[in-house]
Amino acid sequence: MILEKYKIFKYKDLFWQLTLRDIRAKYKQSILGYSWVILVPLINLTVLSIVFTFVFKVPTGPVPYPVYLFTALVPWLFMSNAIVAATGSVLANASLVTKIYLPREILPLSAIASKLVDLFLTALILGFFMLVYGVPFHATILFVPFILLTQLMLITGVSFILSASNVFYRDIEHAIGVILGVWMYLTPVVYSPDLIPANLKIFFYLNPMSGIIDAYRATILYGVIPIWPAFLYSCLFSITIFIVGLIYFRKNSKYFAEVI
Amino acid sequence: MNDNIAINLDNVSKRFKRGHKLLLKEALLDFFRPTRQEDFWALKNISFKVKKGEALGIIGTNGSGKSTVLKLIAGVLSPTKGTISVNGRIGPLIELGAGFHPELTGRENIYLNGTILGLSIKEINEKFNAIVNFSGLDDFIDTPVKHYSSGMYMRLGFSIAVHVEPDILLVDEILAVGDAGFQKKCLEKMKEFHDKGVTIIIISHSADLIKSFCKKAILINHGKIVVIDSVEKVINKYSKLIDG
Repeated sequence: MILEKYKIFKYKDLFWQLTLRDIRAKYKQSILGYSWVILVPLINLTVLSIVFTFVFKVPTGPVPYPVYLFTALVPWLFMSNAIVAATGSVLANASLVTKIYLPREILPLSAIASKLVDLFLTALILGFFMLVYGVPFHATILFVPFILLTQLMLITGVSFILSASNVFYRDIEHAIGVILGVWMYLTPVVYSPDLIPANLKIFFYLNPMSGIIDAYRATILYGVIPIWPAFLYSCLFSITIFIVGLIYFRKNSKYFAEVI
Repeated sequence: MNDNIAINLDNVSKRFKRGHKLLLKEALLDFFRPTRQEDFWALKNISFKVKKGEALGIIGTNGSGKSTVLKLIAGVLSPTKGTISVNGRIGPLIELGAGFHPELTGRENIYLNGTILGLSIKEINEKFNAIVNFSGLDDFIDTPVKHYSSGMYMRLGFSIAVHVEPDILLVDEILAVGDAGFQKKCLEKMKEFHDKGVTIIIISHSADLIKSFCKKAILINHGKIVVIDSVEKVINKYSKLIDG
């Protein structure tokens, strides 16, 4: 245990440096630079808002649809970007993996951490929208860090599995975009779970992100604490996948340097 | 482990899977094959000890397995059989500037590469000026390293690597790359480390570097130790091996 703590402490600086590198290097040589982090979600928001306000009507109660959508889009885009970055992280650092010893876990972890900055910035925009649309802030917003923690466990677990597998089967890097696209439409990001037929709801909530997105909306927009059966399932699922992912990653990371 | 021993390899073997399966299809097919014949033993039953402060040369032709030994000691690869114990901080002079990011400046890369080599931010802050001075790149330290010449790139990488203050220095054939002045600087720095009592392991396929540094050497061929002896005897044997 003491050894474990010492190790984490020892690699803390490396973790920050790798995270900083990803943040700094991402938008070099681009005119708009870091504003892309906000531009991309805003463009997505605009397009989806137009489609789902005027073409398909989504029941959202007292909350205007753009805010309803953005509350889900912000954590979704964070997850999507983090998983894509983490999946490629081991291969992107091939020169390190084959030359120098470092705990390999640090590569997907720092890739995810670098996307937390983006999450923070887009969350500020969400707050701004809520002010503009006059959506009241509720005390239940205090639950949000807990929901984020659950989501981070899910992201990290999935990323451990995908980044390790991607070293051996690079098909994953190509498939990940499509998989995330399908996953998004299985999750109530653009629509409301009220639209799901009652007899299908049980399958719908097998997707751990359904409970997480619901929980974000409930606490941020409606002042309701998370819907427990669904969110509790998401928590358990996330913890399980985190542990499974970590074990899988550790077991396979021994062979990274041989395969790359 | 004895306090006097810096590195101990005990009966180490390393197996590679030749032509590793990179496609899911191949992996699935492979699953149904009765025997896998693609295994390749890069090292077989390697045992040796290196004392603290000793300089050891490992010599062998290309493909003999000497780089694999170095990677096992560095912890990049893990042994298939046997155990390796290492006592002290390892400073790899294996690849200079590993992990440099081309878009980042020299300054940013010093911090990045320094932490990769095991320094803390605090230690880098303290050594920053020394690193820059030694590299001679004061005027270019805020320029992205993608604009560096390959010589500048290496000077910066080397300068960071030697400021890690390792207990064990692993040296690959990096010296072959730089110009004469750079090589001289490298050798001087390595001498300085040796005098300070740093354990040094050099791998090479040329006898000169090893002769100038090590008293003891190991000859490896086809993944096995041929001889461990004084550097003269080992190099004699190596010359015979190449000629014969």
